[in-house]
Amino acid sequence: MSGQHNSGQGEASTGEPKNYLNWDTSIWGWLTTVDHKRIALMYLFSILIFFFVGGLAALIMRTELMHAGGQFLTPQQYNVMFTLHGALMIFLFVVPGIPATMGNFLLPLMIGAKDVAFPKLNLISYYIYVAGALIACFALMNPLDQWADTGWTFYAPYSIESGGSVVLMTFAAFVLGFSSILTGLNFVVTIHKLRAPGMTWDRLPVFVWATYATAVIQTLATPVVGITLLLLIMERLFGVGVFDPKLGGDPVLYEHFFWFYSHPVVYIMVLPAFGVVGEIIPVFSRKPIFGYKAVVYASIAIAAVGFLVWAHHMFVAGISDYSAIYFSVITFGVAIPTAVKVFNWVSTMYKGSIRFTTPMLYAMGFVFLFMIAGTTGIYLAVLAVDVYYHDTYFVVAHFHYTIQGGAVIGLMAALYFWFPKMTGKMYNDTVGKIAWVFVFVGFNLTFLPQFKLGMMGMPRRYFDYLPEFESLHTVSTYGAFLNAFGYTFALVNLLYAWIFSKRKASENPWESLSLEWKTPSPPPHDNFTEPVIVTEWTYGYGTPVEGGKH
Amino acid sequence: MFRYLPEQASEMAPKVDWIHNVITDLSVFFTVAIVGSMIYFAIRYREKPGRRHDTPQIEGSHALELIWTIVPTIICIFIGYYSVAYYRELRAVPEHALTINAWGQKWKWDFQYTDGIKREVTGEMVVPVGQPIKVVLRSRDVLHSFFIPSMRVKSDALPGKFTYVSFTPVKTGTYQAFCTEYCGKDHSAMLAKVKVVSQDEYARWSNDDSEQKMKGRVSPEERGKLLYQQKGCNACHALSDTKIVGPSWFKLFGRQGKFTDGTAYKADENYIEESIYNPNLHIVEGYAPNQMPAYTGQLSKDDIGDLIAFIKTIDGSNASAAPVAAVAVAVDLEKMSPVERGKYYYENKLCKTCHSLDGSPLVGPSLKGSYGRTVKLADGSEVVSDDAYLKESILAPMAKVVAGYPPAMPAGLLTEKEIPDLIEFLKTVK
Repeated sequence: MSGQHNSGQGEASTGEPKNYLNWDTSIWGWLTTVDHKRIALMYLFSILIFFFVGGLAALIMRTELMHAGGQFLTPQQYNVMFTLHGALMIFLFVVPGIPATMGNFLLPLMIGAKDVAFPKLNLISYYIYVAGALIACFALMNPLDQWADTGWTFYAPYSIESGGSVVLMTFAAFVLGFSSILTGLNFVVTIHKLRAPGMTWDRLPVFVWATYATAVIQTLATPVVGITLLLLIMERLFGVGVFDPKLGGDPVLYEHFFWFYSHPVVYIMVLPAFGVVGEIIPVFSRKPIFGYKAVVYASIAIAAVGFLVWAHHMFVAGISDYSAIYFSVITFGVAIPTAVKVFNWVSTMYKGSIRFTTPMLYAMGFVFLFMIAGTTGIYLAVLAVDVYYHDTYFVVAHFHYTIQGGAVIGLMAALYFWFPKMTGKMYNDTVGKIAWVFVFVGFNLTFLPQFKLGMMGMPRRYFDYLPEFESLHTVSTYGAFLNAFGYTFALVNLLYAWIFSKRKASENPWESLSLEWKTPSPPPHDNFTEPVIVTEWTYGYGTPVEGGKH
Repeated sequence: MFRYLPEQASEMAPKVDWIHNVITDLSVFFTVAIVGSMIYFAIRYREKPGRRHDTPQIEGSHALELIWTIVPTIICIFIGYYSVAYYRELRAVPEHALTINAWGQKWKWDFQYTDGIKREVTGEMVVPVGQPIKVVLRSRDVLHSFFIPSMRVKSDALPGKFTYVSFTPVKTGTYQAFCTEYCGKDHSAMLAKVKVVSQDEYARWSNDDSEQKMKGRVSPEERGKLLYQQKGCNACHALSDTKIVGPSWFKLFGRQGKFTDGTAYKADENYIEESIYNPNLHIVEGYAPNQMPAYTGQLSKDDIGDLIAFIKTIDGSNASAAPVAAVAVAVDLEKMSPVERGKYYYENKLCKTCHSLDGSPLVGPSLKGSYGRTVKLADGSEVVSDDAYLKESILAPMAKVVAGYPPAMPAGLLTEKEIPDLIEFLKTVK
């Protein structure tokens, strides 16, 4: 690949050291780059666009729901909004999310490699993502009332007979799936083949382990949803009769196929966030991650068991009582490794020397939010209780604690932690903390009331509701605006620092022991200036003590 | 803490709530303990500005890992036991359960009953208290889900196969039911009520066939005969060859004659329909105009078809002119209050045909505020509308006719005994 990098002469005169950002600043140089760090940045800007649009759809929904009765949308427009919100946030923001951005940027750096195993494939993955995104945007060229209105789950037979642009939207998700599969494949091979000398499996940072577990799920589960969505398209266009009971099909089969992917995909979203938190807490506690092996095994266990629990989304969908019992019991198997992880993160802080930086605040906020996400998941694993809660606001609140409290807060933590490495600049930490308060308070204000709404029996995907639900909906809407303001504030703080900040980041501002901090900020095109040889574990913080080793 | 579940209206609800609340308490305990320790560590071990203290290089603890793997496992086994046990109870259907078929359809719920009178009702399911119920679910189009929060039951309704929910209501009352599987535009309006009533009331309701008689199960002729009575046609149109206020229906169909404007008519279907919807357009010779109210909105096209079918039978060939048997209406007048009885008479003894309750004049004056008001009569005198006046107006309507209204009301619609109840009701219509 070295043959492509002969331009960028203009930067030499500034006297700045060459790094991946000023290597070749032409547009063409960016668009054809095979540098994992640049691809990571392109992914980051792309997914943040959809985070913004998806968030806007959420605010429109929340404004509509602020009071009982119709406000400014028709029921159809509301249905279109929650579909848009779900589909954009899931397929275009959170699924690529941390793996495609932070994973791409950090994975080779953390294992001491020059790039991912297949750099060109990495670029192709990005363009497949762009293609999928464009198809989704194309679906939105129709008048508002004709947008897909099925919810992001595309349940048959509604999705077969709906008048909305379901084919384009599902085709977009189908295409995006390939981006995810290829990224996963690339990462699996990279971790197996490109570790620097001395970077043994038991020295890998927990983020790499989490990314590995994620990549396995991406590679194995995503093809299933691809086939499912393709069958749905065939059903709509040609009436092949796989899911439509009128043609001898079975809508429950669709649900099985869909959740066979869409449950594991939850771990595609949150496992990398677990990894991020596992990196941040040791650095700011100046202590080794507590129970490294347990943390790693827990990631693998969650990924493995995550494949076997999909039908817990279907307890009331008309599956047999026995399969409901099976899926309930196995689901508890996810709770245990998740609990182990939380215990280990908190124990890492015991007797530490704790610094309250913005990324540390996000990591601690993550632990709190994930405790709520995890414990509310228990209710939904319990059959008799899930029968009550299924498809109520309790579920809405639960998965927002998981996905937003987990994956999005995890991404924010990662951005604030690795920003100095990615840009070579330092941001304003105080502003970062203030923005964190808005995000944290806004988030809880949005979704805590929704737990209570669910307890009271409020069903989800409702354009209108009974008067007794109104006050909680109003509070939730205020929270959503606060939350949106917080994210905007936090991201603008970073963008501002990147463009205007005069404060250069040192090679290792957080004094981390991980490999990515042993190269200049921002890193050079080939990641390291000298050959990397790893001689020790990543987490050797603190002073050795009697009985401390395991 | 956090006890927000709705009223417990089914036998299973207290059990479901118990395990729910156990989970809540455990969750609150562990969240407070873990987040509490995290905050405690964060404050206790915080780094003082510029002075980093030594930290021990503790890499883990097998003992702790073991404890916090085993303790959650035990809790999960405990909760998992109830998850399965209560679910099986929730799904069990007692042998003597009352089966109701519920059909989901964009965007309504239809409930079919096969006990008592076979019927289908929309939007409201009536069930007897204390009786195990099995609601068999099916969809007519896309996926729906039937959710009764107070009963703690829910199941999807599928277009391809039957599913069910089963519960035993323990309290009378009206409970909300929702559709909880997204089904398109008006998903949020796909609501229903579950009315839990006493066993007696349910027996009455399930055997009350008056509505059924009105629909389908009787022939059009019979139904026309019922309408003739219920809608008050009989007040002015005789079935024998006699003239009351309006023309007789005896041998009406096919009758030929002249209108007051001199044009000829033949009593065919169109004539009858016009006479019902637009009675004053043409007046038969020898009759006064503005006597009959327009029945638009009160009688449907189907109803008129049935009336025509009935009219065709009054051709003198059989005993059709005989008085119509009283309609079996399952109402227990004895148990009603005087006001309720009065209202019942108003609705069923033809008063409503010509007298509104909302102030609008029909054939006769509105009954809104009728008790106690001063009335101006056709002869220019004024009279206070008291008990005596109202009684006289019913028993001998032609004695005092209100200014601006035709002398059109037949006598003898109510018996003397029924009048006080009607007056009690009129006092409430303000």
